[in-house]
Amino acid sequence: MSLSKVAAVIGVGQTDYVGDYARVRAGQKLHDSYGYAALAFNDALADAGIARDAIDGLIVGPTVAYERVGELLGINPTWGGQRDAMLAVIEACMAIHSGLATTVACIYGNDQRSAAVQYGGPQAMGGDLFLSYVYHSPWGYTSQGALYAMMFRRFQEMTGITEAQLGEVAVAQRLHASLTPHALMRQTITIEDYLASRYICEPLHLLDYCLINDGGVAFIISEAGLAKKIGKKTPVPIHGVGRYDLNRGATSLEPRLLDFYRPAQEKCAAQVYDMAGIGPKDMDAVQVYDSFSCHVPFALEGYGYCRSGDAGRFMQEDGISLNGKLPVNTAGGHLSETYMQGWAHQVEAVRQVRGECGARQVPDCRFVHYNSDVAGKAVSVIYGK
Amino acid sequence: MARSRAVMSIYDQPMWKSIDAGKWQLQQCDGCGAYRYPPGPVCDKCLSMDSTWRDLSGRGKVLSWVVFHRKYLSDYEPPYNAVAVQLAEGPIVVTNLIGPEPEGGWIGRDVEICYEPDAEGHTIPRVKLAN
Repeated sequence: MSLSKVAAVIGVGQTDYVGDYARVRAGQKLHDSYGYAALAFNDALADAGIARDAIDGLIVGPTVAYERVGELLGINPTWGGQRDAMLAVIEACMAIHSGLATTVACIYGNDQRSAAVQYGGPQAMGGDLFLSYVYHSPWGYTSQGALYAMMFRRFQEMTGITEAQLGEVAVAQRLHASLTPHALMRQTITIEDYLASRYICEPLHLLDYCLINDGGVAFIISEAGLAKKIGKKTPVPIHGVGRYDLNRGATSLEPRLLDFYRPAQEKCAAQVYDMAGIGPKDMDAVQVYDSFSCHVPFALEGYGYCRSGDAGRFMQEDGISLNGKLPVNTAGGHLSETYMQGWAHQVEAVRQVRGECGARQVPDCRFVHYNSDVAGKAVSVIYGK
Repeated sequence: MARSRAVMSIYDQPMWKSIDAGKWQLQQCDGCGAYRYPPGPVCDKCLSMDSTWRDLSGRGKVLSWVVFHRKYLSDYEPPYNAVAVQLAEGPIVVTNLIGPEPEGGWIGRDVEICYEPDAEGHTIPRVKLAN
């Protein structure tokens, strides 16, 4: 069974990241996660040019309760539930393909900054989902960043990638953010700035870490034929999806430290490329889930954008900015645009394919590959013309 | 800011009791001989529910290491290290390296388990470079 081009994105929406960041830092709080979700949904409806009553599927992000979002937005769907960003896209395609829904709204809101959510320490988010996030606390080992720091240190030992080469991620994404009006961190940086930034969990620097900010994202996915009729913009079809999860040995970090999650990425890559009928050479841009910069070199190798062990050289010589060979995270990503836990990456992918990105537009953009590895759960989506 | 806190499921309790007694034990599967970490109800290799608590040899090898420069826990003052150690029995554990630091690279160094008291009168297993 293929999910290729059974569905297309007809609308995308987001909140005012810059304005809310300034308001929250000034001690103001206009909305909680539900308010941000509602703002983003209204923005996506307007972008799609459809009425709320066209929605018959509702998938919400993990930070809000499904029933409450449906209640607030007045949506009684034929299919619904709660998923993270990438699984929301895949589940929407599955629901549409099976006939259980025709037009699915995927909605996310998060007041993580104003609510002072901690991603390390005793209240670390995700402990119920991922035991590795909390199990090693008796040894002072906590935070998502420390898990990736441990992984990257071993990756350095195995491949020879340097800190300066890793710094290409932060520098390229900041350049992209400087060209993105809605991005939070718009002042360009150099490799020297990166190396001078303080360590948080060595070998990772402050500039390897994602932002924490309030906001919301929504996108509307419709059956491919219907999408052409009801939307006001040209629909962006989903050409392929892929998934492979490494659960065995997860808490003791085996797939992370021994394999860098490579087997999951390779299986996921085979599925998504086969379904879409295209490969890494066909991609005009890549969006990578970047809670930490080192996701990018892992993804470049795992999804076949460069040879194994060659990501450091690839980033430094071939380039991952809009000026280089393979633009990655073209709006700035989690490091510099907004930390919407993968949701905003889908919006950017759609806008690049539409050609709406202004100064940061990838010329003649036909295909964009989104991929993520969150604790060894490798997921991919390919958007295209 | 709160103290560090061990996850203490009913499967973890015997392990921490063995650590307090100065001899870290893990479950060895009665079906296939594999060691489990974290402790749990079933073997992920052969699905046997039967196991026996065994003393660890105390030997292991450093797979990777980090240094915390930010404070997350009241009982851990940065900078401090954390190391991932593959035990001779197979599982990977995260702990801290105490004593002299390795000259040159840390990764691949042989280490041995040692036991230290924590502030609440319990014991925490750490590692030091092997002789």
